[in-house]
Amino acid sequence: MPSSMVGQTPSLTGFLKSLKQNDIENSIELFISLLKRRQIKNSRPCAIATTHLLLRVVAEPKRKWDAQKLIARVRNVGRRLIAAQPREMAVGNIVRRVLGVIREVAERDEDPLTDSEFSGSASPITEEFQRPALPTRFSEFSPLHGAAAMPHNMHSGRPGTADSVSMDLGGTPQRPALLSTNASYAGQGPPGTSLFSILQHPQGRSPVATPPPGTQSPVTGPSPSRRAIGGEIPEKLDIKAEVIDGIKELQDELDVVDNQIAESALDHIHSNEIILTHTSSQTVQKFLLTAARKRKFTLFHAEAYPNNHEATHVTILNGAQGEDDSDERWKPLTSLGITVILIPDSAVFAPMSRINKVILAPHAVLANGSLLAAAGASTIALAAKTHHVPVVVLSGVYKLSPVYPFDTDELIEYGDPSKVVPFEEAEFTDKVDIVNPLYDWVDCDLVDLYITNLGGHAPSYLYRIVADHYRVEDIDLNAKLDAVAKKG
Amino acid sequence: MAEQGGPAAQSKAVDESKVSAAELKKRAKADKQARRAAQKEQEGGPAEVAPATNGAHQEHLAQAQGVQQDQKGKVAHAKGLQQPKPSKQGGQEAKQDRGGPSQAQNIPLRSRAAPTAPSKELPKKDNTVVELLSHLYPIQRRPNLAGVSKDVHPAVLALGLQISTYEICGSSARCVAMLLAFKEAIQAYTTPRDTSLPRHLVSHHLSPQIDHLRSCRPLAESMGNAIRWLKKLIVELDPDKLEHEAKDFICEEIDRFVHERITVTDQAIAASARNQIRTGSVVLTYAKSAIVEKTVLQAHEQGTRFRVIVVDSRPLFEGKRLATSLMRAGLEVQYVPFSGLAHVVKDATLVLLGAHSMLSNGRLQSRVGTASIALQAHKADVPVIVCCESVKFSGKVALDSIVLNEIAPPEELLLSAVPEKPHTYPVGAATTAAVGKSAATGKDAPEDDEPAKLKTLHDWNSAANLRLLNPMYDITPAEYIRMVICEYGSVPPSSVPVVHRLANEGM
Repeated sequence: MPSSMVGQTPSLTGFLKSLKQNDIENSIELFISLLKRRQIKNSRPCAIATTHLLLRVVAEPKRKWDAQKLIARVRNVGRRLIAAQPREMAVGNIVRRVLGVIREVAERDEDPLTDSEFSGSASPITEEFQRPALPTRFSEFSPLHGAAAMPHNMHSGRPGTADSVSMDLGGTPQRPALLSTNASYAGQGPPGTSLFSILQHPQGRSPVATPPPGTQSPVTGPSPSRRAIGGEIPEKLDIKAEVIDGIKELQDELDVVDNQIAESALDHIHSNEIILTHTSSQTVQKFLLTAARKRKFTLFHAEAYPNNHEATHVTILNGAQGEDDSDERWKPLTSLGITVILIPDSAVFAPMSRINKVILAPHAVLANGSLLAAAGASTIALAAKTHHVPVVVLSGVYKLSPVYPFDTDELIEYGDPSKVVPFEEAEFTDKVDIVNPLYDWVDCDLVDLYITNLGGHAPSYLYRIVADHYRVEDIDLNAKLDAVAKKG
Repeated sequence: MAEQGGPAAQSKAVDESKVSAAELKKRAKADKQARRAAQKEQEGGPAEVAPATNGAHQEHLAQAQGVQQDQKGKVAHAKGLQQPKPSKQGGQEAKQDRGGPSQAQNIPLRSRAAPTAPSKELPKKDNTVVELLSHLYPIQRRPNLAGVSKDVHPAVLALGLQISTYEICGSSARCVAMLLAFKEAIQAYTTPRDTSLPRHLVSHHLSPQIDHLRSCRPLAESMGNAIRWLKKLIVELDPDKLEHEAKDFICEEIDRFVHERITVTDQAIAASARNQIRTGSVVLTYAKSAIVEKTVLQAHEQGTRFRVIVVDSRPLFEGKRLATSLMRAGLEVQYVPFSGLAHVVKDATLVLLGAHSMLSNGRLQSRVGTASIALQAHKADVPVIVCCESVKFSGKVALDSIVLNEIAPPEELLLSAVPEKPHTYPVGAATTAAVGKSAATGKDAPEDDEPAKLKTLHDWNSAANLRLLNPMYDITPAEYIRMVICEYGSVPPSSVPVVHRLANEGM
């Protein structure tokens, strides 16, 4: 084990520090052991650690990547990480997101080569496929990014407009007015952008999109001139740099996810509401704090004994934790004038007839809209359903997993039985079977609304978000890669 | 005060002329104010120790008494030149004057005058009331014997303490214990000369005992039914019976009641319910119900092979006692905290629940958490059977758990060991914090080297808007209950009012 961790309780911060010093293989081993020993727990720390680790893996110095090798490498690392703790789904999610990033970068790289066969036009057209990047909220590697940028001329049937396109990044080209609009996307681009531009992808980009043949993909690149040269070596550096950029975007997303979720707090919480929540989730606390600044409501807080009750008590009395490393905490809700009522978990059914809303934070969200949350959530959700109380789930997209829950029992992790009955009571622990499940599976029927960093969605919409963020071929990391791809 | 100053002033007024009467008035007023100030200083200490709730009530009472006294003063000194004091000042004096006896009369209804004052730095204690359930406050527990009425029999005093501290817990147990204590109290009773036992016993001897028990903990439904039966019995006694015969008769009847309606009934219910447990059954139960325990033990003795899942919850951990007793009897027991309910209910084939009372609209009032158990079982298509003696059947109805409930002291929710302050690591604080309720941690004092001392639940008073809610019961809707087993047979929950009329009212 690396020497930098000696003398400290292993945790996320220690791991992140040690990443800078250790070589990659050691870091991977360290992370695997942290996962196995459950010294790193809960979705966000695992996601942050995975992102940093994969960044190191990709940014391996003096290593030149081409797309397929990079994909294989990340898949291997990802397989190991997931095998270390299969129930920590955030790890797998981040791995798949990074694979998606790599594939996207790879496809962009391939485009100039493949399309030159179709177009038959001169090489200047390859330069035209640079789209000036307009400021947009979407990650560069999200397919929604194209919605906000001015698309270039589509190759199909309009060669004439190629002349009017300006090459540099500043100019915005003339665009033939296309018919469809993309009103369905949250971030509205300038008028005239269309769904059509999103769908101009080569095969394999999105399982739900059927790209018309012979079309080009919208490309946004920070360095068009490099690509125009089209040599071997610049492409590889390109991939590495771009993938690193993509992973950094992921890191940024993880940092701001709580703030983005909290932005919609005022839309959902109103005055004199009585809200029920449980466990010490920081996302929920920040959501409620944002609402508490302007609205007065009452909060019933179930304490989630025996796994989370102390953290819940600390959060209620001292406030949510600030940034992961600091000692600073946010203000507690009670100091903002919100009445907080702490109840034991057995008492969630009793006041449910008076409760207006239930807010839960999941451990992981599954592809069909069901979720894994801290133990006790199933009871709360069922009680809410009985009383027709809406259940709102707050989760970042990084918690959304493309895995479908065929066997819900397999997803439950078990915790320390000594938290229920300490081992000092020898006779009891010897003869009685003590079970302490950490998570509950909550069916999608019981959830009314998901609020993610992309906004609010019904559970039935989550499959689309999964499709947007993950590639089909990445869902099963144990599958063999394409034979063709393996060659490259 | 008014009476003392009166005669002196009157004699003076008679002696002197009217002009100096005004002076006298002023002087007398000044004297009285000085006296009042002195008395206030003396008695101001003890009088103000009582917390606000007490004080508010006392003030109100004292004002009423002050008004009374003023009226007396007016009547007594109709000719006096002293003006009657304003009622407020009189009230204050009356309060100081009657501090002793009024406190003794008020205390049975409020139990907060205990000398043991926890770290109360806040002047107001009213911020512990949860507004939603304000009709269930103030919390009635009596941790000690301060200020108890002299009429309470020692057996009942002892019982009150045991009930208040959950030594005797469970509605059947409390009912039986109460009746046995009443037997002793009745035997110790002597009828006064000019009245008869049937007329006097209930209102003057039994009532203080009942009031005392009520102040220790709200009465259970079974206790209420038993008291109604007992009062009816006593009132219908033949007044010509000799006292000792009457008392012996009452005691025999009490024994018969306990035997018939609780002991034998329990055996009948257990015999009926154990037929529901078959080989390979997985019986799920919650907390500790005496009747369910009996059923399970009897089924085990019969030789049926089955296993039991015991679900438990904070703060009473009654399920642990049940699990221990079943384990000692040789049963296969699985023990889960309440959060593990969703996981184990899938394995269960039968849910057996005890009751605090069955309400007339078919709903079950039982330990808080029972409703969730029944709900999960209903969702998983596991039959829910309630074992309940008819003495617990009630004529009340309730639509939700807020209407009829009992709130326990919020201090019970505090973990007994002061937990180690959790480290402010981003990794879940629960992993590094102390484990379990009964685990003794090495550190009792907070770590001093942490820059920011985190508050624990023990500091809950310091957060102005924080409430701890510790309800004792909840109401399970009738749809989740398949069957209620009582001594009259196995009935659906809709038949509860019929059985209630038969058993508790039609006697």
